[in-house]
Amino acid sequence: MDKFLTFTVLGLSQAAIFAIASSGLVVTYTTSGIFNFAHGAFGMMAAFTYWQLHVAWGVPTWPAFFLVVLVIAPLFGAGIERFIMRGIEGAQEVVKIVVTVSLMVALIFIALWIWPEDRARPLGSLVDTGEIKVAGVTLTGQRLLTIGVAVIVAIALRFILRGTRLGVAMRAVVDDRSLLQLNGGRPSRTSMLSWALGAALAAVSGVLLASEQPPSVIPLTLLVVNAYAAAVVGRLRSIPGAFLGSIILGLSISYVGAYMPADAAWGPIALDNLQRAVPAIMLFVVILAQPQVSLRAHSLQRVRAPMPLPTQRLAIIGGLVLVATVIAVGSLMSGPDQNTLLRGFGFAIATLSLVPLTGYSGQISLSQLTFTGIGAVVMANWGASGNFMWVLVAIVVCGIVGALVALPAMRLQGIYLALATAAFGIFCYWMVFQQQDLMPGSTASVPYLRVGPIEVGSDYGQLVVLALAFAVIGNILVVLRRSSWGRRLTAMRDSPVACATLGLNLMSTKVGVFALSAAIAGAGGALAGRTFVVDDFSLDQSLPITMLAVVGGIGSVGGALLGGLLLGVQPIAVTALAANAIGVFGFFSASVPQVMSVMPGFMGVSLGRSPDGAAAEIGEAYRDFSRSGPAVATAIVAAGGLWFAARTELIENWGLFAALVVLTFAVIPVLPALLPPSGMARVGRSAPTALWLLVVLVLSALIPWETTIGSTGFRLLAILGWTGLAAIMSIGILGVNPAATDREPEPSPDELGLGSDLGKADAVAAGTLLGLDEDVMSLPTSEMLVGLRAGDPS
Amino acid sequence: MTSPQGGPGAVTRPLLELRGVTAAYGGIEVLHGVDLAVPQGSVVALLGPNGAGKTTTLSVACGLMSPTAGKVFMADADVTGVRAEELARRGVVTIPEGKGIFPNLTVKENLLMATYGGVDMAHVEEVAYSRFTRLGERRSQVAGTLSGGEQQMLAMARGLAVDPAVLLLDELSMGLAPLVVEELYGIVAQIARTGTSILVVEQFARTVLGVADLAAVMVNGRIRAVGRPDEIESDLSAAYLGV
Amino acid sequence: MSALEVSSMTVRFGGHQALSEVSLAVDQGKVVGLIGPNGAGKTTLFNAVCGVVTPTSGSVRLMGRDVSGIPTHKRARLGLGRTFQRLEVFASLSVADNVRAGIEIRRTWERRGSTARQYLASGEDLPTEAEVQVILDRLGLSELADVSVGALPTGQARLVELGRALGARPSVLLLDEPASGLDDNETADFGKLLIELAGAGLGILLVEHDVGLVMSVCEQIYVLDFGSVIASGDPDTVRSNEAVVAAYLGAGT
Repeated sequence: MDKFLTFTVLGLSQAAIFAIASSGLVVTYTTSGIFNFAHGAFGMMAAFTYWQLHVAWGVPTWPAFFLVVLVIAPLFGAGIERFIMRGIEGAQEVVKIVVTVSLMVALIFIALWIWPEDRARPLGSLVDTGEIKVAGVTLTGQRLLTIGVAVIVAIALRFILRGTRLGVAMRAVVDDRSLLQLNGGRPSRTSMLSWALGAALAAVSGVLLASEQPPSVIPLTLLVVNAYAAAVVGRLRSIPGAFLGSIILGLSISYVGAYMPADAAWGPIALDNLQRAVPAIMLFVVILAQPQVSLRAHSLQRVRAPMPLPTQRLAIIGGLVLVATVIAVGSLMSGPDQNTLLRGFGFAIATLSLVPLTGYSGQISLSQLTFTGIGAVVMANWGASGNFMWVLVAIVVCGIVGALVALPAMRLQGIYLALATAAFGIFCYWMVFQQQDLMPGSTASVPYLRVGPIEVGSDYGQLVVLALAFAVIGNILVVLRRSSWGRRLTAMRDSPVACATLGLNLMSTKVGVFALSAAIAGAGGALAGRTFVVDDFSLDQSLPITMLAVVGGIGSVGGALLGGLLLGVQPIAVTALAANAIGVFGFFSASVPQVMSVMPGFMGVSLGRSPDGAAAEIGEAYRDFSRSGPAVATAIVAAGGLWFAARTELIENWGLFAALVVLTFAVIPVLPALLPPSGMARVGRSAPTALWLLVVLVLSALIPWETTIGSTGFRLLAILGWTGLAAIMSIGILGVNPAATDREPEPSPDELGLGSDLGKADAVAAGTLLGLDEDVMSLPTSEMLVGLRAGDPS
Repeated sequence: MTSPQGGPGAVTRPLLELRGVTAAYGGIEVLHGVDLAVPQGSVVALLGPNGAGKTTTLSVACGLMSPTAGKVFMADADVTGVRAEELARRGVVTIPEGKGIFPNLTVKENLLMATYGGVDMAHVEEVAYSRFTRLGERRSQVAGTLSGGEQQMLAMARGLAVDPAVLLLDELSMGLAPLVVEELYGIVAQIARTGTSILVVEQFARTVLGVADLAAVMVNGRIRAVGRPDEIESDLSAAYLGV
Repeated sequence: MSALEVSSMTVRFGGHQALSEVSLAVDQGKVVGLIGPNGAGKTTLFNAVCGVVTPTSGSVRLMGRDVSGIPTHKRARLGLGRTFQRLEVFASLSVADNVRAGIEIRRTWERRGSTARQYLASGEDLPTEAEVQVILDRLGLSELADVSVGALPTGQARLVELGRALGARPSVLLLDEPASGLDDNETADFGKLLIELAGAGLGILLVEHDVGLVMSVCEQIYVLDFGSVIASGDPDTVRSNEAVVAAYLGAGT
């Protein structure tokens, strides 16, 4: 009985933290329509900020606590709303998800950069009372405090959201943003405040969690996944529901920990990690219990510019070039680098698997590497000979598992599918990949491929196999995209309800594409030809895959290659550049690779600034870039050449770095204007621009950065300045801004709904069509507009 | 803002005026130069078939949309491009078509949203509940679960309590029973008598012509005719029934 | 036999009764009009007929078969097609691909044994490409075949929706304000097209605010107001019906 009581109280104190975190999640979701996957990362950042203030700088407990929770976190949340989230209002669900996921990834890297995992950073208890006995149960003051804080949060939230005009307005924004305006409320300010409130709640939960055990960046970020499970109980909208969900979750975790023997098993399946999988299981069960969402006719989503169909000829040539390049470059590489590139291609195939799912059909999965893992485990256990037949088996198994996972979630909106896949990823991590029978010693060795008498015998050989696999699958996807099935997927993404009225079974079509996607990811695992460890399949490894698939260019095969390789070959850059540390303000130091590791996250977040590239944002240029085969090929050749020059010590490492930065930020955005994707016209003065780009790239590589500029920080600044100058010059020489060649379809009055309001983005789109800058749009002078509409008699 | 000279039929200088307004969605122009004036204390009905641009005209008047050309004046002040929330705080109450309420807020919370212009909540509640006793009985009920008529009353309560300078109404009668519509238009007339200038958009004439001082017929983004209700009857038939 | 028969359809949303006890029938080969003020429940009726909205009570029969309670895509396979008031085009596909998608989706379920239906004047089975061409030609969209639908003006996008629906070879077609966005000449052509489609055996239920068009192409008209049918009959009957005049212009004017 004592044990039961003790674990009940323990469970409740856990529940209290989940409740605080999940209510913050609910506040931001209900007031902005954006499910903040970075909520846990907010909490994690707050915990480390508290550590910095309290432990490192000696600010006393409570001033530090309140400074973090009431000042820093809310400012941070408001800033995120103002500068990122405001831009994605009304964007596609996939973009919303990817932006917050990117934010999470970026925050993880920033935290790892500021607070490297070189030592433990215990926060210490907030209250130091020793043990207290209540009704025969021994408690720490910390636990009591946690429960108390949750109760206060519950009461305060109820008061704010029901009793104050501001809180009521926060709820009103979701109901009808323009009506709130018509009442005199200021929706943008209200949204900012609700993000501030959400961030404050994330901060409270983060600090409370971290004061129980020393915080560690990724586990702390992912622990808040538990809050997702709790929030789903309240259908992501109800705070009492989130509290109830938190209590169920906290108690379940506690009781499983208390009563499940350490060596528990169900038949051959070890259950020792069940406790950690409880949130994922609960998330899945609750999603299963959700009622079917009825087919909604048109909710206005801004439509992305139509993706030009890749030509089959281009795809075949691209595939051949890729394989040839890998054969050539791979032969020059050292063993470890070949292995790294092998890894890069594994990621590239996982990214490729999202092309049909996210690109063609507009759905999302956050755990593609789980399927890669399943493919790898099947191959490692049963196909140890490398027999090609087992690759096919692994692909089929992954397809079937994918269909089973998708089936329950397909009935629901995009956000639930995203959560279900995340839950599936976590579940498999703990309950499948941790099985010693499946991954002995927590590793899985995927053999090299063997097809009949042909046997691959080295990383290099397997690398060629993977490049070939990528080329073949990529070509199959292009065939599919051009087939009637591909048209159906696009049709379903554009209007599910219209497809249903034409007789299309949406459910089976969606499940089918999810299965295909899972099968491709599985193929990446079965063909990996290397040894995986369990952590290769964790959620935090999968998230960047999804992010880069979208950032690299939703649904383009070239984008998938780019995204995957970027992720995969990062370690090469790390080893090449690790020695160069930068001190900034003496507050933290970072190496160049760390700076680079943050960049993908920021690229994803930049989607939020221009989810469909209305403005001259770099993201649009990158998407155009990834759609243009010749441009991608040129960039790959340039990067390969630079790398080769560095390898052969023609240029120094800093030259390589500077040239890569210039390539990424000054050359690539301009390339699509010179080598336009099919469907776009070439614009501007291309020949002088091409020459200039070549000159600037060579100069960047040859400038002796290391010897001319002593301080690393200044050197970095100089490179950034140089890059900016190069970019401005390129655009100047070109004569047009490549990103400003707008192909946005004109929204028709019906799509916008004459009765509904126009969001800022619509106004901006309209203004952009008129050729206006965003900053003059709020108060356009009529002369200016009349001038622009010359020729109109009215 | 109340003025003794207001009242049905009184022709005074316009409180709300649109001059040569054009507006576009995307690149498609839907208003091609609209001139419309609402004199102080009078009710102007803006009529016309679906897609004529009535709602767009209203969106420009309330500040949700900026015109691509032309001007909007309020009491002789140029308010072109002023944001909707600022106009609302200056006394423009707009009740949009079929969604003048926040469905997930309670009746009371809906009324709380009416206080941004500086009106006291107690006053808002008092006016709302005394005029619509049914709202008083349901103050804690979620507005989305009210009947259509009650929802429209809730929306109208805001117009009543705030004592606006300008009231913009879009399709007040949509989907409502004739008796309810009559009651609502009775209130419209009552509000007008306090000096409020009212612009009512309706697709179909119905009861609105009974309370309107002036009517404007809109077709294809242009005002086709303006006049007293009895003067424009033939234009109306032509616009609707194509005869 | 009526191609489409709606009996005592009632739809309630929360406290709001969108449709009450609506009954109507559309015969094969006829164009039937459905008119009424904004908010009368016309689009709700369409949604209930094709299964996007679940009615509170009432039944829908399609070619004599009760389809109440079966999912939207199965009703489509039994010959029900529609267009939408708020456009539901495949905006990132070209005009031809929109129509092609309609045909291709049909082929997927035809292969599973559903019967082929009437189609324009002939029931012959053409290859997909030829069928796309026939539909585009008939709707006057051939020149726009490769244009992305997202870039089309509303009127033409509505025609694309119609073409796509025709690709599924329906027996009954529900058209929701198909002529809005067309100019007078285009509307006249559109009226001819409707009569021709009906001549080929289609039953068409037409919701349209252009009453002139409705009066000229429909043999039978239903007038909906407050979710109820307040009048029905041929154009002259409806035009002279006092309740209709009152519904549109208000009593006493």
